[in-house]
Amino acid sequence: MLELKGVVSGYGETRVLHGTDFVVAAGSVHALLGRNGVGKSTTLKTIIGHLPLQDGSIAFQGSSIDRSPQVNARRGIAYVPETRDIFGSLSVQENLELAGRLAGVNPEWTIARVIDFFPNLKDRLSNGGQELSGGEQQMLAIGRALMTDPKVLVLDEPTEGLAPIIIQQIFAKLKELKSGGMTVLLVEQNLSFALGLADDVSLMSRGQIAWRGTATDLRNDDVAHEKYLGV
Amino acid sequence: MDAGFWILQFLNATQFSMLLFLLSIGLTVIFGLLHFVNLAHGALYMLGAYIGISAAAWTGSFWAALVLAPIAVTLIGAVLYFTLIDRLRSAGPMNQVLVTFGLIFVFIDLVRIGWGDVALGLNAPQVLSGATDLGIVSYPTYRLFLIGLGAMVMAILWIVLSKTQIGAMIRASVENEAMAKALGINVGELFFAVFCVGCALAGLAGVAAAPVLSATTGMGISILIPTLIVVVIGGLGSLEGAIVGSFIVGFIETFSAAILPGLAAILTYVLLAAVLVLRPRGLLPARA
Ligand SMILES: Nc1ncnc2c1ncn2[C@@H]1O[C@H](COP(=O)(O)OP(=O)(O)OP(=O)(O)O)[C@@H](O)[C@H]1O
Ligand SMILES: [Mg+2]
Repeated sequence: MLELKGVVSGYGETRVLHGTDFVVAAGSVHALLGRNGVGKSTTLKTIIGHLPLQDGSIAFQGSSIDRSPQVNARRGIAYVPETRDIFGSLSVQENLELAGRLAGVNPEWTIARVIDFFPNLKDRLSNGGQELSGGEQQMLAIGRALMTDPKVLVLDEPTEGLAPIIIQQIFAKLKELKSGGMTVLLVEQNLSFALGLADDVSLMSRGQIAWRGTATDLRNDDVAHEKYLGV
Repeated sequence: MDAGFWILQFLNATQFSMLLFLLSIGLTVIFGLLHFVNLAHGALYMLGAYIGISAAAWTGSFWAALVLAPIAVTLIGAVLYFTLIDRLRSAGPMNQVLVTFGLIFVFIDLVRIGWGDVALGLNAPQVLSGATDLGIVSYPTYRLFLIGLGAMVMAILWIVLSKTQIGAMIRASVENEAMAKALGINVGELFFAVFCVGCALAGLAGVAAAPVLSATTGMGISILIPTLIVVVIGGLGSLEGAIVGSFIVGFIETFSAAILPGLAAILTYVLLAAVLVLRPRGLLPARA
């Protein structure tokens, strides 16, 4: 579904990715893990088009991704950034409606379905985006991504800064999406969260993939744990 | 200083505020959305006045001029957008200021060539000429029309921005352009459309002001300063900021000129300095 080959990217002169390769299979959850600052978020930003691809290739459903994020979004790549980026000046409902413009005539995801999926948002629809708690923001960020009827969901650290109870809720919801067949690319620091969801894992080290395998492989590989995750 | 005096000052201040609003809303949204400092906005206002005067002469109708001038100014703005503004978007504020400040003089010279260097008037249409009796005072009907026009534009913009999906897209893009793009919004097209609306409003302000102020080549520069102050006081990119800023500057300038003429010239600057010190992002910035 999503294939990165020799991806080079970074910020202006600063190169962060030095030939990143991995493949996200359709219908799978792929976890991209690694220590702080190895380039996980940079990888995601390059995939969606926020950062220019300096070398290598990224293919989505067989054809190259576009330079502009809005085209990639229209083609079905939905992004939930590390900072969630809820529009604070829009109501929760407006945040969702805005994303819903991308979906076709008979959208799979409607506001009603998102509320059903994340009941916490139900009483918050008319609230401003800036009035939400961290957990609600994360739910809205995921709900907003779903409203675009994505083919792949790109999630950057969805558990960051959240209380354990909220993390559990989000975990259950992502499980539900996974069993519905959603393709997910997940960057996460919370290892048990990531391994509980992932089929495949890529471990990143200094802008390259240093280890790849299944979630089960990683569970049994203490060396990889130690070397690339520092646990 | 009886009640009539205060009411007159109040109406004058409101009318000036509306004019400032029509100009500052375009400028502030262009600032907020495109991160672009367009000092030529004042020149577009001047062009609106001159083009409106000619359009009224050709068509014989003030109302036709009121529609044609904003359209013409929008076309000029669109040319500017594609030739200069789009290219200068990433050039940094200093280059933008220099280029668009230079543009003011280009436009002033073009107006001198086209219309000459004399003040030109525009007659208000028959229905709006004369004065209206408001009970305690009688006030020029045309100025009341200006107040109504400003209030109408304010109301339309408010409804579009706060109640429609286009408005939500604009607010989202001003707040976080990158995320708006990641949700499939064509931010470039949206910004161009908003830029055009800003130009149209500058043109509208110009032609609408012509019957009151008459057109001069200096009008674009003299309005630019209070307009910039409105934008800075109100906060970049926000409709509420432009509304509040316009009323603050419009009222302070009008009332201080009437009752403290000695202080009039500096009061707005004092306020500007105070806002910059206490709330450097303005009173109601678009990005919280
Ligand atoms: N906007 C930026 N400009 C310049 N350098 C940046 C920028 N953002 C990140 N970097 C640098 O790029 C490198 C990779 O950052 P990135 O955000 O991709 O890491 P990450 O793997 O997501 O880490 P974390 O787990 O902390 O989120 C880091 O060294 C970081 O300092
Ligand atoms: Mg990161």
